[in-house]
Amino acid sequence: MKEIQQKIEKLLLKIQRPARYIGGELGQVVKDKSQVNVRFAFCFPDVYDVGMSHLGMKILYGLKNSRPNWWCERVFMPEKDFGQKMRENDIPLYALESLDPIRDFDFIGFTLQYELSYTNVLEMLDLAGLPVHSRDRHELTPIVVGGGPCVCDPEPMADFFDLFIIGEGEEVNCELMELYERMKPSHLSKEEFLREAAKIDGIYVPSFYDVSYNEDGTVESVKPNREGVPETVKKRVITDLEHSYYPESFVVPFTSIVHDRAVVEVLRGCIRGCRFCQAGFIYRPFREKSIGTIEHQTKCLCEQTGYEQVSLSSLSTSDHPQIETLLDTLAGYTDSENINLSLPSLRIDKFSEELLEKIASVRKSGLTFAPEAGTQHLRDVINKNITEDEIMHTCKMAFEAGYGTVKLYFMLGLPEETDEDVLGIADLAHKVVDLYYSTPREVRASSIQVSVSTATFVPKPFTPFEFEPQAMPEDIERKQKLIIDAIKSKKIRFSYHQQPVSMLEAVLARGDRRICDVIYTAWKKGCTLDSWDEHFRPDLWDEAFTECGIDREFYANRRRGYDEVMPWSHLDYLVSREFLIRENKKAHEAVTTRNCAEGCSGCGIGSGYGGTYCKGTQHL
Amino acid sequence: MLMPKNQNLIVERWDYRLTFAKEGRARYISHLDLMRTMQRAIKRAKVPIWYTQGFNPHAYLMFPLALPLGTDSRIEILDVALTEDIPFDKVVEMLNSSMPEGLYFVNAARPVMKHTEIAAAEYDIAAELSSSADEMLAKWEGFISQDEILIEKRTKPKKGRKQPGVKLIDIKPHITVVSAEADGNILHLKLRLPAGGEFNLNTSVVTDAFFAYAECEPEQIYTTRTKILAVNGADFV
Repeated sequence: MKEIQQKIEKLLLKIQRPARYIGGELGQVVKDKSQVNVRFAFCFPDVYDVGMSHLGMKILYGLKNSRPNWWCERVFMPEKDFGQKMRENDIPLYALESLDPIRDFDFIGFTLQYELSYTNVLEMLDLAGLPVHSRDRHELTPIVVGGGPCVCDPEPMADFFDLFIIGEGEEVNCELMELYERMKPSHLSKEEFLREAAKIDGIYVPSFYDVSYNEDGTVESVKPNREGVPETVKKRVITDLEHSYYPESFVVPFTSIVHDRAVVEVLRGCIRGCRFCQAGFIYRPFREKSIGTIEHQTKCLCEQTGYEQVSLSSLSTSDHPQIETLLDTLAGYTDSENINLSLPSLRIDKFSEELLEKIASVRKSGLTFAPEAGTQHLRDVINKNITEDEIMHTCKMAFEAGYGTVKLYFMLGLPEETDEDVLGIADLAHKVVDLYYSTPREVRASSIQVSVSTATFVPKPFTPFEFEPQAMPEDIERKQKLIIDAIKSKKIRFSYHQQPVSMLEAVLARGDRRICDVIYTAWKKGCTLDSWDEHFRPDLWDEAFTECGIDREFYANRRRGYDEVMPWSHLDYLVSREFLIRENKKAHEAVTTRNCAEGCSGCGIGSGYGGTYCKGTQHL
Repeated sequence: MLMPKNQNLIVERWDYRLTFAKEGRARYISHLDLMRTMQRAIKRAKVPIWYTQGFNPHAYLMFPLALPLGTDSRIEILDVALTEDIPFDKVVEMLNSSMPEGLYFVNAARPVMKHTEIAAAEYDIAAELSSSADEMLAKWEGFISQDEILIEKRTKPKKGRKQPGVKLIDIKPHITVVSAEADGNILHLKLRLPAGGEFNLNTSVVTDAFFAYAECEPEQIYTTRTKILAVNGADFV
């Protein structure tokens, strides 16, 4: 530690925001090394500001450190300036608590939250002084593990990881570390350990499976190549969220991060089933915490961290069965303590006047809505069950309460999208502006700004749209122009996503193992921090695809048949293939599906996973 | 109609001048970040902080003098107001109950002077060199006995222009050398430099100018602020 600390201290005043690289924050866990027998480096493959905002890391960090003989530490991707300095000065990637090099740890764990962070994983392994390919790391440790939503198709990263953790991590992480702790004294080989690990539910060891391909390039099969390895790996679910571990304190950063506040998870899963939304399917079933537990966790976190803001986290907070009582209860506490309660992820249809007042009572900033599509027809296709009336009603309430900025989020390139749907986006924005001007002058804000932003739709695994092609870049560009030409009001600001990024995401999201070489090649050429506009190098990715002989359109823009073996077909996220096919067909007919609270639609989860609405589940 | 949140305004307040240390890992916390860090520390400690009035009430905290990034100190000042009259040592004890590594409070008292009375600060600078410091000490004597020491200072862009200007200023009259010594590979400088609202001179400006003059790159420079002084030359209290 001392050696690395001396080396980095010489550099810290020469780089941007050094507080990100030295640790020492309140709430960090420091242990006596002699009392610890399993060390885990929890790596977030992006910069500190982003990674420190991630709730999953806070949960698993606290959980692992609650065992006296385990020590979990944090590691982030250095910015380019510090990364370069580390290489120049032979500083290996280190963990923030101990400042020890992570190559000496027992486990190195990465959370894969978005595809554009993949090259950062390679960069971090390399900075740590480790071979990036699993096959080149012969020793038992460090064991490189991956988790997070992207591992529902881990194949593009299969060459770099020793094992993946499928589904929710609270239980299986502990089971894995317990296994290691038990087996460590017998000095076993990496192969021996991985064989035992593969017996744990939810653990997928990619090297234990062989992939074969058809002549047309599609996957023929993914089969175990060793005895005792399961044909399919089923995701793990925390069935009792109410009593599941939740941290009582967070590491409180000095430097400002993206989400710099206390965060309480109020529910997991989503009842809605919007057909484009991967989170809406892979985190099923819907489970909520009780008001008492949420209140207790809120107080605990606020007191321990000293944060002046607490945010309720979930995919759709207003779907909590007792949302009104919950907010009343919490507001009683937060108001008295001068704490700001914030509620992201509210659905428009649930936006009552009372709710609006509660979030408006402190600061009148802006309202953000995600209608996702410009017309009712297309909203029906994607099963986003909100109507234009509901959007207008909410905006009317907001304008009357004095809101002056509205952000509207849409997607372009959705299945069944016509030019009429695209023009509907501009149309809706104009209607919102008109609504502002029809609001009485005395109550409305002094000016109006409507920001319209469109992202390019990226089809994702385990959604009803996993079969769909991504729209061709030319088509998206044409549609973006359509909107630009249709916007007449100066009060509307329009922004849209870069094309090459969306296409790369589409390839990585539904790729197979042949994409590993592309990622490796792109990284070798210098691609890292791809999610940052200033660092993204589409030209280098182009070269990488060409050199590896990989046709992007095969992955991004091809329609898959209902009977095609997907690169992720050997993973079971509990939602059945039949349900996804049924939902895909209904999408093309623009028929909506009811949400879980209204009645079961037979997604296949069944009643064994603690879902609030899964009791007496129907099987359609 | 929305009403300001902090309606039950507590008018009665007790002012405290807190002295704190910022050293070790904490020396890399920037001034802006320190503000947030202290706010949270006070909230955790449940010290009854006085909140400002209005739609967006916030805890009243005031740092009269910023500490440059990377500098250690045990004499930094933070002014706060509380809604209760709590004994000084009790306030210090409460605050120190949950502080991050390298940040801690050493004293609390009633403010005596005004912020505008701050005029200067003293610093210990330890420059670690790759060879014996004797030669550098000789160069320092040469450097400091020049008639003038010109440095480039960026000025705010003029009206209608985007480019900031550069202006040469002479810092020589502003530097008071308390002592300069060589100890093995370390060059020790004790300097008094202007600080506060009127004119501020950072140690890094002086050391950068010196090492450019001496054509030397030090291995590392450790700087500690040791005194904050008022106009009359006494310690700021």
